[in-house]
Amino acid sequence: MKLKYQILATCCVLLMASCYKDKGNYIYKVPEDITISGVETSYDKVSLVDKISIDPKVNSTDPDAKFSYWWGIYETNVQGSAPKVDTIGRAKTLDYLVTQPAKGWVLVFGAKNEHTGFSKIITANVNVVTQFTRGWYIMKSDGGKTDVDLFLTPSGIAPQSRLENVFSLVNGKKLDGEASLFGFYSNYKSNVTGAYANTRALFILSDKDASVVNINTFKEIHGINDLFYETPSAKKPGSISESSQANYFVNDGHLHSVYSMSANVGLFGGKQLRDDNNSPYSLSKYFMAYPFENPFFFDETSSSFVSATGTGSVLSAVTDAPETEMPANRNNKELLFMGLKSTYPYVGIALFRDKTDPSLKIISTISPSNYAVKIVNDTLASTDKLNKAERFGLIIEDENILYFSVGQEIWSWNLSNGVEQLQYTVPAGEKITFIRHRKYTGSNATEQPFYYNYMLIGTTSGGSYKVRAFRKTSGNLATTPDFTMEGKGSVGDVIYIAPPVSNYTYPNSY
Amino acid sequence: MKQILTVAMLTALLAACKKDQYYLYNDIARIQFGPTPDRIYTASFEMADTVKPFTFYYEPAAITQDTVFFDIYAIGGVSSSDRPFTLEQVTLQGEQNAVPGTHYKAFSDASLKDVYVIKAGQVHASVPVILLRDTSLKKGNVKLQIQVKANDQFQPGEIKKLWRRVDFTDMLSQPAAWNTSAGLYYWGKYSQVKHSFMISQTGEKWDQEFLTFVNTDYALLTFWRLKLKTVLTDYNNAHPGAPLTDETGETVVFP
Repeated sequence: MKLKYQILATCCVLLMASCYKDKGNYIYKVPEDITISGVETSYDKVSLVDKISIDPKVNSTDPDAKFSYWWGIYETNVQGSAPKVDTIGRAKTLDYLVTQPAKGWVLVFGAKNEHTGFSKIITANVNVVTQFTRGWYIMKSDGGKTDVDLFLTPSGIAPQSRLENVFSLVNGKKLDGEASLFGFYSNYKSNVTGAYANTRALFILSDKDASVVNINTFKEIHGINDLFYETPSAKKPGSISESSQANYFVNDGHLHSVYSMSANVGLFGGKQLRDDNNSPYSLSKYFMAYPFENPFFFDETSSSFVSATGTGSVLSAVTDAPETEMPANRNNKELLFMGLKSTYPYVGIALFRDKTDPSLKIISTISPSNYAVKIVNDTLASTDKLNKAERFGLIIEDENILYFSVGQEIWSWNLSNGVEQLQYTVPAGEKITFIRHRKYTGSNATEQPFYYNYMLIGTTSGGSYKVRAFRKTSGNLATTPDFTMEGKGSVGDVIYIAPPVSNYTYPNSY
Repeated sequence: MKQILTVAMLTALLAACKKDQYYLYNDIARIQFGPTPDRIYTASFEMADTVKPFTFYYEPAAITQDTVFFDIYAIGGVSSSDRPFTLEQVTLQGEQNAVPGTHYKAFSDASLKDVYVIKAGQVHASVPVILLRDTSLKKGNVKLQIQVKANDQFQPGEIKKLWRRVDFTDMLSQPAAWNTSAGLYYWGKYSQVKHSFMISQTGEKWDQEFLTFVNTDYALLTFWRLKLKTVLTDYNNAHPGAPLTDETGETVVFP
């Protein structure tokens, strides 16, 4: 009997748990749908000149909807600090004078239905620009000094006007030496805005000088004298590149680096050692680099490939990959040219001359695998035009073709079968100084008029330059260029800059 | 029936499981050392600056004394009047202990009468320890370990926070910023030969201030490590068979 009472009491305690008032909501409604229209996905605005004027349409499936609104703007491409959203409006209509410095920003619009508490938030990219943030930049030298011309492209990729000598115009000086190489990095660290952050920076290298400028203002951030923790005794820039989370600067044949994945002030470190004995070395100005791969340089002293890390003290040794046709180290070769052919797979093309037999030239395909390289050679015949090449320009990613110049002729070398083909002959009196393939493509609707894929041929004559922008079809140049940019001097490099251009847009290469 | 009662009582006891209220500090005033005020609420810095190395090495010969500061905190709230606290030296067994009046100014020195005080309205004070540049410091290090002592104002606080130590000399000494981590990744094992080599080759002091500055920038750390590695390699290349060795006979290396 006692057991029955106990069971009964236990059951009663358990049953009490069922005396719970059901407060569930069984009124099923279709979720509110708030739609916002009238806001573009992207805006290009000139700081302190343009306004963002938007009158969005906001609708809801809630017939009793009553909205409150909010506009904000925050900076993109920030590193080392969290972006802060600035409120710029609380009305439905926005009429805001853009005061932000030139770079990428995000506009935020929020509409909250006060009746239901639901909100809808949308964003739009705002590219705050200056006259320097879009256009063709041409690095040219004249009388042993280097400067930069800017060709403005307000409505399409074909330039409409020219700003001459913008570097000296802004900075009051020219660079010493002959124009050599551009490098553009949107992740370069500087304090141009008052705090160290990613800066859209253009490196300008001549053979005797260097400068890195803020592309939004073209003001120099560092000259060669304050670009390093310790000013190099010799000023002979070879190359600037980005690879394996670091920027690399070759000066006087020596490698300097700045590791970009940690806080830094944009200054390059000391000369990396060749080995633990500090053996002498001299890197060629030609290189292979890609942000997600190891960099590869060629030591002319030992005729060896070397690599590096951004934090290392000693250059990384490069070994032979299986099936290589030439050793990566002490191969007794002189590097005449090397450039990037494709980023995926990571492949480069190099032209070597034998140190013992200078008449022997080989064109090689360089396929790195971690710190090993597979080199596949093709020996040039003495009759090959490529034997006498003076300037080089690889087509990157597209056709398997190397362009080169001989005298006043532009030739192509088919890297698949070794076939040479005359592509273009420059007018009499012009000297070819520059060949480069540049491509800027994407899916940004507002950038469509600015996307291009050109072989750029630079010539000089009578103290003036011409840069012809050729389209290509199946690797062959169009018979006439789309447009020609002209100015004073001799061209060293050409680059097209636009607000969406980043350090990933153009592969690092000569 | 007994079981029913037991179940009922256990159920009633569950009602006792309510959140306890917070208690305010109502103990007597106590005193203890701590980190700098900006780090007082950072647990990882709770025992920071327990031992401070110091050297007169970089000071001009005319300098005969210098001061090392520690941070001390009163527990139990502020007071409307100044509250003196008392320090005493602790003798370390097997160590070269600092001698009051010779290596440091005694805490009882008349000139320090008003120094060891928690000011009215404050709970923090900087504790100056005045080190004297005795000639014996040219030949070795001495250690001065201090601890708080109960007085009519304060009782000692947490046991592990009652002491601080100064390890000082007039020779080159390992700066605090050349800690285990810095040694492992950048500067390697400390030696006076290495330290002196760093100073002579770079023109920098490589003292606490300089190392603290270098520590703020990874790129700068990397630059100096590479610089030191380069000058050491060049030195060893210039002295074949006689690489730079430290005072213990070990070859000097940088990581």
